[in-house]
Amino acid sequence: MSKFNELPAWLRWPIYALLGILLLTLVQIISDTDRLTRVSTSREMLRWAVPIFLAGLGGLFSERAGVVNIGLEGMVILGMWFGAWGSITYGPWIGLLIGIFGGALGGLLHAIATVTFNVDHIISGVAINILAPAITRYLSDEVWASPTTSPATSTPDRYDLPILGGGTVGGWESPDILQSVAQREWFFVSETAELLRGLTTNLHFVSIVSLLLVPFTSWLIWRTRFGLRLRISGENPNAGEAQGINIVFYKYVGVIISGGLAGLGGAFISTELSGLFQGGNSAGRGFIGLAALIFGNWRPGGVLFGALLFGYVFGLDLKDLDGTASHALLLVNTIVLAGVVVWALARKRISDAVLAGLLGLGAFYWWLSAEAVPGWWSNILPYVLVLLVLVFFAQRLRMPVALGQPYRKGGR
Amino acid sequence: MTAAIELTGITKRFPGVIANDNVNLTVKKGEIHAICGENGAGKSTLMKILYGMQSADEGTMKVYGDVVNFNTPNDAIDRGIGMVHQHFMLADQLTVLENIILGAEPTSGGVIKFKEAEAHLAQVAADYGLTIDPNDMVETLEVGERQRVEIIKVLYRGADILILDEPTAVLVPQEVEALFDNMRELKAAGSTIIFIDHKLDEVLEISDSITVLRHGKTVASMANDGVTAHDLAELMVGSELPTPDTAESTVTDTVALEVQGVTVKAEDGRDVVENINFSIHKGEILGIAGVEGNGQGELIDAIIGTTDVSAGSIDLHGVNITKMSVRKRRELGIGYVPEDRHHEGLMLDSPLWENAALGHQTQAPYGSRWLINRDGARNQTELIKEQFDVRTPNIDVSAHALSGGNQQKLIIGRELTSNPSLLIAAHPTRGIDVGAQAAVWEQIRTARAEGLATLLISADLDELIGLSDTIVVMLRGRLVARLAPEDVTPRDLGAYMTGAATQNTDEAA
Repeated sequence: MSKFNELPAWLRWPIYALLGILLLTLVQIISDTDRLTRVSTSREMLRWAVPIFLAGLGGLFSERAGVVNIGLEGMVILGMWFGAWGSITYGPWIGLLIGIFGGALGGLLHAIATVTFNVDHIISGVAINILAPAITRYLSDEVWASPTTSPATSTPDRYDLPILGGGTVGGWESPDILQSVAQREWFFVSETAELLRGLTTNLHFVSIVSLLLVPFTSWLIWRTRFGLRLRISGENPNAGEAQGINIVFYKYVGVIISGGLAGLGGAFISTELSGLFQGGNSAGRGFIGLAALIFGNWRPGGVLFGALLFGYVFGLDLKDLDGTASHALLLVNTIVLAGVVVWALARKRISDAVLAGLLGLGAFYWWLSAEAVPGWWSNILPYVLVLLVLVFFAQRLRMPVALGQPYRKGGR
Repeated sequence: MTAAIELTGITKRFPGVIANDNVNLTVKKGEIHAICGENGAGKSTLMKILYGMQSADEGTMKVYGDVVNFNTPNDAIDRGIGMVHQHFMLADQLTVLENIILGAEPTSGGVIKFKEAEAHLAQVAADYGLTIDPNDMVETLEVGERQRVEIIKVLYRGADILILDEPTAVLVPQEVEALFDNMRELKAAGSTIIFIDHKLDEVLEISDSITVLRHGKTVASMANDGVTAHDLAELMVGSELPTPDTAESTVTDTVALEVQGVTVKAEDGRDVVENINFSIHKGEILGIAGVEGNGQGELIDAIIGTTDVSAGSIDLHGVNITKMSVRKRRELGIGYVPEDRHHEGLMLDSPLWENAALGHQTQAPYGSRWLINRDGARNQTELIKEQFDVRTPNIDVSAHALSGGNQQKLIIGRELTSNPSLLIAAHPTRGIDVGAQAAVWEQIRTARAEGLATLLISADLDELIGLSDTIVVMLRGRLVARLAPEDVTPRDLGAYMTGAATQNTDEAA
């Protein structure tokens, strides 16, 4: 186990993912659904996950600089509106840029409040969450003469990856390796290929950008001067200041980037997912992004993994009208909780083991006694997951030390 | 030869106070220059001005003969001046290397060249004879190692004039000696060192020259040549050097506090306090010696009630208080001077009179069970201000406006005027000046003569030896030695504290 923990993150997360797929495959054998590993499920997962991930990554930039950003939801909404407006007025590409700009405005506001005026981070964030829907409603009414919806936006193209997803490169149609594997009905391998197809075919432009942002952000945070200075702003700003670093600048940049990424997530929702601006379409994904950030331990790979996990639960629910797939998911929950029991017992953490055991038994009983689960269950499941992570793994989480603390120049 | 540093006529005013009043300081190149003075004498302000963190209202600064004007620490760093702060300026979750290169990262196109940085660091470390592993996380380092990181950080940026702000305050004697060895190496390598210290024997041991400040003024500047601690103390306070020595024993037969088999578990299940037994009689001061982080804090928490014990019992005057709430315990007469006055002792943004009521808010004269008695609290605060010489314009200023020494006097006053039967005093004179220190010692002694039982925890070993009737040593959560203060020296204590010397544990229990 300790050797496993020493593996680099880019190796560990895929191993977790493969174990997860194996579990899904096994559970599917004894349940009445094949949706758990369908390509449509993983495609919906990614579509749900991208805005969550972008908001979570935005949260990472803000929180690594020491500013709690609960205003991500508001910034997603601003990005939705500005993205839609830009896309209708100037086309899809400029639309995305304007969406980023809209979210960044929200970030700027948050930075002014929290960094310059030392307003409590939560209060400022909540204010932005209240302000954003109101502003976009007003703007919609002014621009489109409808407070809640816009005309259809223009949408960027979709892409298939070459080789893996059968995409075309310069007129040459590459083979679609994953599809041919998926059709072979090889146990576990075909299921994995099927799920991967959702991540390689029919991709939105922003999805591709999001996946590329993971290694880029890791590099930026850990290898560059900017990243080091951003981190010191969240770890010990007074120490940074004593070394002559302009902490205020880095906090501003971090929070503005945060807003920009959330804004991109919002623009993605309005231009690529729904094809129009509609109030309420953010569906709390800014908040879930914050949950993904905590789940992912303030690391880019972890945020992506968290976003995909939550996206999976939502995506599964979307095409699961009879509730049988979510029902099968209960069995997955049971098995995972049983794993937690073993893990906790091995560490002699009895109370954790008892709690996980009770929750697991509850999930198992529900799975036995019901044929299907109601839709609200998958809506709250992401939050339940985050709570469980906080309960069982809080000691392993490492948030920035000075997160949420006011910073005064020449501090005392 | 031109001086490394020459400050002339430096004056700095804060609202209502003159922190520096026409201060002069000349530091020769390649010397170790000590600056001593009571708390509030203006040492820290002077150093902050020299390091560009604050700017002087009047006066001139010269570095190697050039007149300079610093607006930010960067300006001072560019001139080769570096500062090691009393409170370490390190980020725990960053590596040693990251902490050191911060602000002076070698980069190409914004990307940090870690290999080059590591090579440069190795070079600096070798030049000055300091060793450190660049890839350790700072949170895993001991206090002495952290300080070394701070010093290397300054050297890495090419500083040849180092300001050390009370570097020995956090160290045990053995670590102090290691620090002094490092300082001598630095001096041999050509560095100039300015260091601030309260402890006069240390000043006399290490420094080449000494400047004494009092009430913001320079009162003397001399070579360390035939000067005695006695002379220095007189210069600092304008009076005799106080000693913590207690007079004849006042220990009685009545047990005030009885601690039996107390064990405290940390969150990860480890025993941070393990099977501790001791009792304190009325009129007795029990001193606990130990390097910080060996369970003293948790033991205090257990007695005051802010942490649960996993085994054992605590009795106060025969009443079992093991499961009582903190408020109940305090109402039974436990006074508490916490280790960190900013975190646990005061509400920094609240007025003094509210701070005086803190912890006693349910008792006369501060209030009753449900209500605060404003007039009673204010009168009592005025009384504390008079009796304990808390220097403040009035009792409505917020606590952070007071100097550290005056904040401490307020806390001690608050605890002692509530007539406790047991006082838990954690580092009661940490960071306060000689004058205030003597006053605190006197107050504790007086209360002891009247039958107060005191649990004293201190890193100042002279204080511990001087005040205590009995000394026990805590190491890794256990009491490892029980010593009589009459025949123990700070060196002996240091040996027990670090585990270099041991005593039969049966005897200790």
